Amino acid sequence: MNDKQTTRRRFIVAALTFSAVATNMPGISWLKSSEAWAKADDDSASPAMIRLARLLFPHAGMPDSTYRAVMGDVLAALAASPDSAGLVDAAEKALDARRGRPWVELGEVDQVAAVAEIQGEAFFAAILGAVRGVFYNHPQVWEHIGYPGSSKEFGGYKHRGFDDIDWLPGDVS
Amino acid sequence: MTRQYELSDSSVVVVIGSGAGGGTVANELAQKGIDVVCLEAGSRMTLADVVNHPPTMDGLMGWHDKRIGPMVWVCKTVGGTTMRWSGVAPRIQEHEFRALSTYGQLDKGTTLIDWPLTLEELLPYYDKAEDKMGVSGTHDIPPSAETNNYKVLKAGGKRIGYKEITSARTAINPVARAGRPGCQQIGFCNSGCAVGAKWSTLYTEVPAAELTGHFELRTQAMAVRINHDKSGRITGVVYADADGAMHEQKARAVCVAGNVVETARILLNSESSLFPDGLANSTGNVGRHYTRHTFGQAMAVMPKPVNYHRGTRQSGIILDEQYHKPERGFAGGYIIETLSLDPWNVSTWAGGWGPGNTAFTDDYTKLAGIFITGEDPPESVNRISLHPSERDENGLPVPVIEYRDHPNTLAMREHSLKMSRAIYESLGATDFTGSDIPVGAHNMGVARMSANPDDGVTNRWGQAHDIPNLFVSDGSVFSTSAAANPTLTIVALAIRQADHIAERMQARTL
Ligand SMILES: Cc1cc2nc3c(=O)[nH]c(=O)nc-3n(C[C@H](O)[C@H](O)[C@H](O)COP(=O)(O)OP(=O)(O)OC[C@H]3O[C@@H](n4cnc5c(N)ncnc54)[C@H](O)[C@@H]3O)c2cc1C
Ligand code: SF4
Repeated sequence: MNDKQTTRRRFIVAALTFSAVATNMPGISWLKSSEAWAKADDDSASPAMIRLARLLFPHAGMPDSTYRAVMGDVLAALAASPDSAGLVDAAEKALDARRGRPWVELGEVDQVAAVAEIQGEAFFAAILGAVRGVFYNHPQVWEHIGYPGSSKEFGGYKHRGFDDIDWLPGDVS
Repeated sequence: MTRQYELSDSSVVVVIGSGAGGGTVANELAQKGIDVVCLEAGSRMTLADVVNHPPTMDGLMGWHDKRIGPMVWVCKTVGGTTMRWSGVAPRIQEHEFRALSTYGQLDKGTTLIDWPLTLEELLPYYDKAEDKMGVSGTHDIPPSAETNNYKVLKAGGKRIGYKEITSARTAINPVARAGRPGCQQIGFCNSGCAVGAKWSTLYTEVPAAELTGHFELRTQAMAVRINHDKSGRITGVVYADADGAMHEQKARAVCVAGNVVETARILLNSESSLFPDGLANSTGNVGRHYTRHTFGQAMAVMPKPVNYHRGTRQSGIILDEQYHKPERGFAGGYIIETLSLDPWNVSTWAGGWGPGNTAFTDDYTKLAGIFITGEDPPESVNRISLHPSERDENGLPVPVIEYRDHPNTLAMREHSLKMSRAIYESLGATDFTGSDIPVGAHNMGVARMSANPDDGVTNRWGQAHDIPNLFVSDGSVFSTSAAANPTLTIVALAIRQADHIAERMQARTL
């Protein structure tokens, strides 16, 4: 893993640590142990999990490769602790059980309905929080939605448009 | 010139915490030649440690010791939560110092009182605090530069008839001043200001105190208990060092400024046969009347780009709603301020999942945002207490935080979100969401100042009613919350308290 990746993993650990605090997830101590996770293989996510990520955070035009990368990170993070290692399996099983056949093979309407049916489960909240934390701290996602990331190294926005808005109506601006 | 004091040196004032309250009172005392030992639980960062990514910085400087109850979002680092704060620095209004007289008791559950001091008494200290912190629009400092997010707020505010809209009143240097540079508009100031344009005690009060030769900062020094003698006078503070070893620093007087939850915990944890319910708690008020403001936040998708990640989170406010206008259906008022969030926080606050959630992140560049802070009536049931058996990493009783919104708070939030929506819809916003922020960022009460000892913990100087050489120097002393963001008032009160301590020492009554 190169330096950039290592730094990003650290971001993710921090992000998830905070999200655990924010959502008061009980008993999940995987957040701080990044070692196993840093060895992660980004291709580890199943098609069902990649599909789930897209349904959770559907951004038009975002490539599957981004969802795959995010889910690889999420799986690695969850696998790092016995408390959370089984969460993804549990989610896949629960989804498959909803319609009696593999969830990933259902049509979109049924897929969304099945996710809605399991959203009250504790494991779902944990997975949702983890996917959210990794997804919205991922540089590919940032780029897609128009957030360029840290500005410190570019001297901030003092000379780069912090006040460049030009569409406000003249009578009130 | 940094000093080192002997543990046995009982001539020093011990200050617990180096944030807004502790950093200020410590520096003010040191400037007067009074010897100070400041115990700070966190370690000392430099500006080079600051990266422009809030979650990473939370890992570095956030307070993550175990707590039970709703979240409190503060820092454990030299500088405390002034590393994370947004810098909005309005004053409390005259009528808010007389909350009970102005609003009346709202119901059987509320515990409103009047402050035992007036705005007039505090005015000279507000002036000093604004000078010290470099508040924009005061002391010949220009107003803050208008960011895109603020321009949207201003335009929408004007559209719906607001008049008091200003980009002043922020403790961020618009231009270089007092050895600190002007704001570079880096954005997300809550991860810490990488250039030091935003006032934080890490690079203002603490080094200034060190230069006096009357100040020692001990980092990774977690105060756990305050000791007293048979007469009830404070004699010293026990703290755990980085390795967990316990030491006692003797003291002539102690100022506690651990930011409300920790302040209450230290007082309650210092129980003894003389003070079985904890220090300064003879009337049972320590930990009670905890307030954290009516909070609210609004996000709107505007018709065209705003790019609110560019520049300060906080560059302006609307004050029209800060007054007491009971016809709105609630007591007290609120202030409308700008807010910007990183993508992850946008998704978190938009809530849920699916297209309803991504509507906001998809249009990240078009987002505009509002933060609401308003008066929150104190209730005795909103409190910090100690868990009877649970212990944290340091072997201390875990603080239990109980807080619920009063109906007045709910009504105020509803009103504020309605107005926020109107502001953005007046400019053609296509999507809007507004919600509570269930996080204690503005913590107040728990050792409040009261004229009558039955109503509070400290007197008009933040000095314990029960113990003359024990002072509280943070937001814990607020008698009621008022609407304004608290830090300017914390700093003004700390400067005033230092004057009082110095006078008492000179008169040999302390
Ligand atoms: C995101 C955010 C934005 C904010 N924005 C604003 C704003 O715009 N305007 C405003 O007015 N306010 C704002 N605030 C609030 C502001 O940060 C606080 O009001 C202020 O920092 C409180 O000062 P303090 O001295 O009480 O506590 P802190 O600044 O938190 O300092 C307390 C210090 O005490 C230390 N400590 C605690 N316990 C112990 C112990 N037992 N032993 C030793 N040390 C201990 C802590 O490590 C910490 O350094 C904001 C807060 C947050 C979280
Ligand atoms: S926007 Fe200004 S105040 Fe905020 S962090 Fe950047 S330079 Fe500091």
